[in-house]
Amino acid sequence: MVSPRGEVTPFASLFPVDEAHKAVKRVEEKIAEKQKEMDHLKEFIADNNSIINLVSKLPEELHHDIMVPFGKAAFFPGRLIHTNEFVVLLGEGYYAERTSKQTADILKRRGKALDSQVESLKANIKDLKAEASFFDTTASEAAEGLVEIREDYVDEDLGEEHFESAFQGKGESPGLNEKKHMVEEDDEYTRLMARLDELEREELAAENDDESIEDDPVANGALEDGNEQKEQSNTIESDTVNSEHFQNAISGDLLLYQTHSMQRKPQEQEKIEDVTAEALCNKYQSDLSLKDEQNRTGSTIQPLPKAENLSSKSSTHETKRHLHNEKASVLPEGKIEAMSSATQPVHMQSARPPSNSSKTEASQSGFDSSKAFTGSIVERSTDVLTAKSATLPPSDSQSKPSRPVSRFKMQRR
Amino acid sequence: MASPAAVRELQRDLENKANDLSKIQKDIAKNHQVRKKYTIQLGENELVLKELELLKEDANVYKLIGPVLVKQDLAEANANVRKRIEYISAELKRLDAIVQDLEEKQNSKREAVLKVQQRMQALQAGKAKA
Repeated sequence: MVSPRGEVTPFASLFPVDEAHKAVKRVEEKIAEKQKEMDHLKEFIADNNSIINLVSKLPEELHHDIMVPFGKAAFFPGRLIHTNEFVVLLGEGYYAERTSKQTADILKRRGKALDSQVESLKANIKDLKAEASFFDTTASEAAEGLVEIREDYVDEDLGEEHFESAFQGKGESPGLNEKKHMVEEDDEYTRLMARLDELEREELAAENDDESIEDDPVANGALEDGNEQKEQSNTIESDTVNSEHFQNAISGDLLLYQTHSMQRKPQEQEKIEDVTAEALCNKYQSDLSLKDEQNRTGSTIQPLPKAENLSSKSSTHETKRHLHNEKASVLPEGKIEAMSSATQPVHMQSARPPSNSSKTEASQSGFDSSKAFTGSIVERSTDVLTAKSATLPPSDSQSKPSRPVSRFKMQRR
Repeated sequence: MASPAAVRELQRDLENKANDLSKIQKDIAKNHQVRKKYTIQLGENELVLKELELLKEDANVYKLIGPVLVKQDLAEANANVRKRIEYISAELKRLDAIVQDLEEKQNSKREAVLKVQQRMQALQAGKAKA
């Protein structure tokens, strides 16, 4: 939904109409010139051929009776003798005496040279014509007001891409942009993740009374297995698929956070959340719509990220409060723009929300950018789904690959 | 303020540079033309050489000098044509070097003109603000 900043450039500005027209005219002029040259050459060739004919025919007779031109306007009858002797112009003022056959050969060679010249001219004209047509089309497009839209290639697709490549082992990213982006983001991401990791560990260490999940979950991020996820999912109330990795871990983490002292490092969390929340929300929105195919995983993830978004948003806005309250606070804040409808689900996941973002972050830290989101997306509770639907109707339910991906992205961001 | 004077001076400067630039461009165009002529001549001479080589030893070769066709020795004609070719190639090379030089000068002049233009724009902007 939030589309990356894009620039809409009307074609007219890039290729001003009249300039395009002028260019077309220029090219057409050049084409005309070349055509003239071509005609010239063709004339030469025709002359050459006729001379060859004449030269071959003359020796057929010993002498020919002809009308000899005399001055500008007179002729007199005469005879053409020495019918086999020709003085041929070789070029540069040099002449040579040759027989008819030799002359014909010379002429033929000249003809060949002319032909090659004509060929090159033809190629030239073709290129010029192509150029002219291109200019023409651009001119017409500009006139019509076609617009060129350029958008920053935000890393929305990054996670996706990353996911894809990791998943399918594809090496190449859809676009150079993506790659670059990914690289940059990777750095940021890893840094962020590392940070989050640390924070998480501290948090985890701090909280001891929490029964459920803790242990390994997020921090490692090696969550491919369902174990942690299982536990986490338990707390999370989701129908999360255990095998799904991160998401579960993430949710677990979130839960952890909430149950334990979230206040631990509220500021840091918030900061991180702040940083990521916005981005997450934004990305999430856009991602969601995009990623459907990629993520084969469950659709629940979507609601989750949403909730996370919500929570992150709310947390950012009211971090401290949320942290303290853990639950309801998140809901009422409900400032999350898109997620207003999701507040209820947020409720459900209230435990999660505040920590969601942090958790996701933490889990993100665990998430190794090189690791693909291998599997299914955690399916959140239906509420989340409904909440989601508010924002992204199409995105919910199955295979919101975008979700998990976006999650990553968000987290990465 | 010195602005109007500065502006005028900049404008004069711009004009000078623009003139120089156009001169250089004209030179380059002339050079191109001469080069074309020479190139065509070179091609022709090469053709003549080829034909001469095909001639038998005793064939008669004539050279057109004004309205007169003068008989020439085949060997002599060959030598002449070869020398001509060399001369033309040398001329072409020289012209090439000159053209390069001119192009470089043209580029530098263009940059100078741009700079002056920018300064003028800055000045105008400054004046407008003030």
